[in-house]
Amino acid sequence: MIELRNVTLKYGEKVILDKVSLAVQDNTIKAILGPSGVGKSTIIKLMLGLIKPNSGQVFVDGVDITPMKEANLYPIRRKMGIVFQGNALFDSMTIAQNMSFFLRENLRLPDEEIRRRVMEQIRFAGLEGYEDQLPESLSGGMKKRVAIGRALIFNPKMILFDEPTAGLDPVSSRKILNLITSLKKSNDLGAVFVTHIIDDVFAIADEVAVLYQSKIIFDGPTEKLHESEHPFIRSILSDKILEL
Amino acid sequence: MASTFIGNYVDSKMLRLKELLLTMQEFFYFALRAFSTLPKAKRYWRDVLDQALICGVESIPIVLVSSISIGALMSMEVGNLLEEFGAKTMLGRSTSNAVLRELGPLLMGLMLSARYGSRNGAELGAMQISEQIDALRAFGTDPIAKLVMPRLLAALIMFVPLIALSDFAGLQTGALVAEYYHKIDPGIFWNSIYPRLAPKDFVVSFLKAPVFAIIITLVSSFNGFSARGGTAGVGRSTIKGIVASSGLVLVANFYVSKIVLDIMH
Ligand SMILES: Nc1ncnc2c1ncn2[C@@H]1O[C@H](COP(=O)(O)OP(=O)(O)OP(=O)(O)O)[C@@H](O)[C@H]1O
Ligand SMILES: [Mg+2]
Repeated sequence: MIELRNVTLKYGEKVILDKVSLAVQDNTIKAILGPSGVGKSTIIKLMLGLIKPNSGQVFVDGVDITPMKEANLYPIRRKMGIVFQGNALFDSMTIAQNMSFFLRENLRLPDEEIRRRVMEQIRFAGLEGYEDQLPESLSGGMKKRVAIGRALIFNPKMILFDEPTAGLDPVSSRKILNLITSLKKSNDLGAVFVTHIIDDVFAIADEVAVLYQSKIIFDGPTEKLHESEHPFIRSILSDKILEL
Repeated sequence: MASTFIGNYVDSKMLRLKELLLTMQEFFYFALRAFSTLPKAKRYWRDVLDQALICGVESIPIVLVSSISIGALMSMEVGNLLEEFGAKTMLGRSTSNAVLRELGPLLMGLMLSARYGSRNGAELGAMQISEQIDALRAFGTDPIAKLVMPRLLAALIMFVPLIALSDFAGLQTGALVAEYYHKIDPGIFWNSIYPRLAPKDFVVSFLKAPVFAIIITLVSSFNGFSARGGTAGVGRSTIKGIVASSGLVLVANFYVSKIVLDIMH
């Protein structure tokens, strides 16, 4: 479980998150919906301890990670996989190396085991035959699947997705969303995904939190979103346009 | 009206000063962390090797170009000057001071700051804005150990032979110019160098290698890590890195010479 409690985050004088509280249960798909630039990527980075809040706490499985030193955060971060907005694949490494890199870095596993795990992810991502290619030669959807494969490499309980469908064509985007739901069904994997696309939320999210002007203005089961009276939510439900 | 204007001006200056101090503090921590990860060199030996190739072997041409031009220029100009005083036999000595101690290392430092520094700044800046540095941290790898330490170590190792090469090529060119342009016998040229070469000449020359290595890699890497705001941001931070490291190379060049020569007379 991941929980943000009264988290405030500023960049300089600018308040990005204002006393945000939010919880993500294991084995659920939680969407965080918000317009561009509202602080969605920031929330994901807070959950991993990549940035520290100005005030408030972040709990991972009941442990407050806010006061932790970088070195102590590493084992905690391994409980979560992350898929970055632009994938953040290492462009000088092949697909297989991208997936195996962190296994080699962090776990003392025999080469056989590393190869086995990497092949498993490559098959899962449907990328057989592309192991030795560089990321730049892959399509957007394929890169995203490599990033997902990499995120699964430590067998995490939860995956964090930063705008997993942004910039993808409808078919690839559908595939990625199906992948997220099938991971939940087959591997009991929870997911947090931040997005500005409301259709994605209705397609796969069990729960949704809406972030608007530094605050959470809705947090609950996806089907309850329709009952919200908040003008911003009313307007996105009617226009499906998420601009400020 | 005027007073608020001045007040704002002072406020904004104070803010800039505060920012500068904060950045310096951050840089200091960054440098400390880079040095403290040096023991991990064994783990990242491949990265060290890659970087050694980039900053060492691939820098040879640029170092040769700069040292040859310094050697040739100094020999030609100083030779002309000495001729007026009838002291052409001193040419070797005068050229070697410039080549070994001052202009040779300085120009090499500036060239490497442009070449190796810009490469580091742009590469690490691109990794920063594409979240690859965050990805390292997210999956449990210290980006300073993986990215900065190998660059630092490679430069610390490789700048020494580069200085040696620069010294050698500069002097050799000086001798050639002396022989063919000033018609000075190479024996006389070298003879005015060897007997007077003192340890301090080499200390000054070779001490500049690690000092420049540290300045160039740490400043450019720090600026790469601080890149924000898309591709334009990478450009801005790379420029900042080169300007800062070139400036520091100039300053350090002076102080290393001054301090060593003060101590060793
Ligand atoms: N390091 C930083 N320094 C200063 N401001 C920052 C920094 N990182 C992000 N911001 C600002 O914080 C705000 C939130 O950024 P964030 O990336 O979390 O937004 P987002 O919701 O993910 O947006 P997008 O839809 O563009 O991905 C933005 O206005 C951004 O400009
Ligand atoms: Mg974002």
